[in-house]
Amino acid sequence: MDREVFERRLTTLLAVIAGLFLVLAVRLWQIQIVQGEYFLRLADENRLRITSVVPPRGLIKDRRGRPLTLNRPAFTVSILPTELRHPEQVLPEVARKLGMPVPEIIAKIDAAGDRPFEPVRLRRDVPKEAIAALEEDRMDLPGVLVQVEPVRDYLYGTLAAHLLGYLGEINDRDLAALRTQGYEAGELIGKDGIERIYDRFVKGRHGQIQAEVDAQGRPLRVIAKIPPTTGDTLTLGIDLDVQKAAEDALGSRVGAVVAMDPNDGAIVALASHPAFDPNLFATGITTTAWTRLLRDPLQPLLDRATQGGYPMGSVFKIVTATAALDLGLVNTDTRFYCPGFYNLGGHIFHDHEAHGNLNFLEGIAQSCNVVFWTLARPVGPDNLAKYARMYGLGQTTGVDLVQESAGVIPDPSWKARVWKEPWYAGDTLNSAVGQGYTLATPIQVARLLAAVANGGRLVTPHLVTQITTPQGQLVRRVAPPATGEVRLNPQTIAVLRAGLAAVVTRGTAASIQIPGLAVAGKTGTAENPHGKPHAWFAGYAPTDSPRLVVVALVENVGFGAEFAAPIVQRVLQVAFDVRPAPHP
Amino acid sequence: MSALAGPPLPQPGGPARLFRNVDILLLLSTLGLIGFGLVMVYSSTHVSTRPFLYLRSQALHLAVGLIVGGLILAIDYRAFASSARILYVVNALLLGAVLVPHIGRSSLGAQRWIPLGPLGQFQPSEIAKFVIIITLAKYLTDRPGPYQSVWDLAPFLGHVAIPMLLIFKQPDLGTALVYGAIFIGMLYAAGARRRDLATLGAAGLVLVPIFWRLLKEYQRRRLLAFVHPTLDPLGSGYGIIQSKIAVGSGLEWGKGLFAGTQGVLRFVPEHHTDFIFSVIGEELGFVGAVVLLSLFLLWVYRGLRIAAVARDRFGALAAVGIVSMVAFHVFVNVGMTVGIMPITGIPLPFISYGGSALMAMVWATALLLSIGMRHQRVGIGFDASPAPAHLIRSMRGPERHEE
Repeated sequence: MDREVFERRLTTLLAVIAGLFLVLAVRLWQIQIVQGEYFLRLADENRLRITSVVPPRGLIKDRRGRPLTLNRPAFTVSILPTELRHPEQVLPEVARKLGMPVPEIIAKIDAAGDRPFEPVRLRRDVPKEAIAALEEDRMDLPGVLVQVEPVRDYLYGTLAAHLLGYLGEINDRDLAALRTQGYEAGELIGKDGIERIYDRFVKGRHGQIQAEVDAQGRPLRVIAKIPPTTGDTLTLGIDLDVQKAAEDALGSRVGAVVAMDPNDGAIVALASHPAFDPNLFATGITTTAWTRLLRDPLQPLLDRATQGGYPMGSVFKIVTATAALDLGLVNTDTRFYCPGFYNLGGHIFHDHEAHGNLNFLEGIAQSCNVVFWTLARPVGPDNLAKYARMYGLGQTTGVDLVQESAGVIPDPSWKARVWKEPWYAGDTLNSAVGQGYTLATPIQVARLLAAVANGGRLVTPHLVTQITTPQGQLVRRVAPPATGEVRLNPQTIAVLRAGLAAVVTRGTAASIQIPGLAVAGKTGTAENPHGKPHAWFAGYAPTDSPRLVVVALVENVGFGAEFAAPIVQRVLQVAFDVRPAPHP
Repeated sequence: MSALAGPPLPQPGGPARLFRNVDILLLLSTLGLIGFGLVMVYSSTHVSTRPFLYLRSQALHLAVGLIVGGLILAIDYRAFASSARILYVVNALLLGAVLVPHIGRSSLGAQRWIPLGPLGQFQPSEIAKFVIIITLAKYLTDRPGPYQSVWDLAPFLGHVAIPMLLIFKQPDLGTALVYGAIFIGMLYAAGARRRDLATLGAAGLVLVPIFWRLLKEYQRRRLLAFVHPTLDPLGSGYGIIQSKIAVGSGLEWGKGLFAGTQGVLRFVPEHHTDFIFSVIGEELGFVGAVVLLSLFLLWVYRGLRIAAVARDRFGALAAVGIVSMVAFHVFVNVGMTVGIMPITGIPLPFISYGGSALMAMVWATALLLSIGMRHQRVGIGFDASPAPAHLIRSMRGPERHEE
């Protein structure tokens, strides 16, 4: 290349670089000379405040689009550590106006020590009067920030509390893990229920306000504003009417109700009593309210439908019957004689009544213990456990809730491991009728019954059926696949269904017949060491093409037919919109 | 062309005369910039329980840089040309080593450092810029062209791409971009057609969406924050906004040395490293900032003059590479603090706190001075790779200046 070309190019290079430097100089002129005074003012007073805007959480709706939660605007009072000039004057004043102790405020500010630019929320949902008092003395309270933030409003109070869950302030560990996903210090996140499981969908995205403020911290002018993005809407399989019916029917008794579509596992109602009011948590729960909930002997925070393990009582006979049928030990017409007791090597097991001569189907319908005790020994403990596990007992169902209990399915090796004792023949008898060591949750029982109702599929129970944007665009359809298959021949299932139908047509639950709706089910009365037996009823309807499984459990009341079956009857009436049977 | 062509050059003499040929203006502007930098590093870090902590470390690195720089000055720069291949391989290995767990150390989400015990940490990507200038100059000398299509430039692109990708992977987007500037500057000077360079630039733009996906989340946020600073004013946009406030509040004369508040306090992040210019703008004002830019411009001018008078193609192109590197650093760094360039983590040459970067700049300047003072035949007749034009020039002699 020619030297002259080279030198020309060097000159061009010099010109380009000089040009770029000139651009810098012009820019410096612009911000230092032209806009200098403006920036000087911002700098001198550090008057640029950037605050995060909390987005409204996504709504939660029932299957027909009726909202279960809303958001309402409320005042939040925070401290901005960078602007807090005279804490010794400001903090006691704020404490007095908010009615909270000064040390609590100081503790909150200290906890946020390394984040001086983020407001430290002192109290949410502050009453208007307190806000008015604060605003009056605004001039003397630099560093105090009043913001309007959306607060979760659970429209029906305690209704469906366990499945909805509750909110709580994000803790440091979660914050460290979630900061990159847009979570901020002091914000409320789901701590339980679907609020927790689906938090990343419903939380929305923070907006931001960049404002110029005066020496007292009062905003003068908004420089930039990015609105927050509302979280996605969750649509549940829950039907508000059915949920209400379930909770009304349960009333003040301690227990749980699960209603589920046996074909896809969508939960239509999930009740547990006693419950709590999630609104208590919506603004950050007070210590006293929290302690009261934790110390309540009835454990209102416990979701009995998914976290409570109970002996199944006679409902377990469905498993025993399945095993006996599948192993070819019985058929519909196998005949039994029930004298009202069963003699196991000199040890007498008493049935609740003497059923006399009866076939296997009647044995199911009348819930005759002697029939199942007779079958228990040929089936054997290992087969009982095997069929129970096939039905999904002893494992979590995978429902979209936290801390689901897996229950217990005992067998000889389990007893040797846990109790360090051999398995006795009496244990087999007890297991066959749902007494003894077996523990199951109402939702497991619902899934078991769904498998009978749908021909053997173990569906995955789920609350959320779809997630949509606030504008209604589909984000995700939630339809978890079945977790397994109960491999049974059609004949076995047909006999089981006939037996369960007989329970309601002429058996132990004949009292809950619903005109115009054929119901099948099984009663259970589970004896337990804590008082009266737990009452169970697990049923589905209509019998020919089941569309709803309903399981009711009531703790320590008595017979399943008397206390649990009417709850299921009430739920079915509402779900299928049939008028209540006239009481004679 | 005349601005860069020097006056008639003195005739060759012995090694003792060599140092008389040192470009005094370049040396003075360099020393001025370094002095400026030390003062500003102190000014931006002295508000602390150990006010001299950073200054001492910077001075220590400077001392090492000056000793090695003296060595670079003493040996003939053409020795670098002959060891280009080894330099290239060692450089690539060092850059690769940074990415290896247990060797490389990560900080602020990037893996850029190799710990060196008591010497602190060593950042190979800073030195790598210097190395790649040497090896690319050598490569361009070995394949002098003419470059008549974009394909003729491809080998050089490949030459730069390997270290560039290794750095990009650290990830250090800013330093990787410096390679782009060095590449364009050197190839332009080496005679590549404008059209072909434009094609490469366009191809780079086409690749943007792909690189976008390779970027780390925080890098994307920074770039977005640049386009729209209010998007994330507390996060990535925060630095830009606070830096503009700091610089803008300096007005004509600044708040006075050591009197800045925005930069020295915590408002401007990284105020002693990447954002040191916002402290300069705040404390020394428009006048101080323009003085600094003028010093840089003088440095650039003398650097390009050395390129113009260099005795061979290798020296001339190496000089252009060094100047391109420094100019790009200055523009992007200052541009970032005043909100006209995205935040990319590029330090201000000679000024920003950071040992590896300072040493690399001192060495680069030493090489530049070395090329400058050996611009004519001295001592042993050694010219492995003369620029074709050089022959023409030496044949034609001084009358060239009358053109």
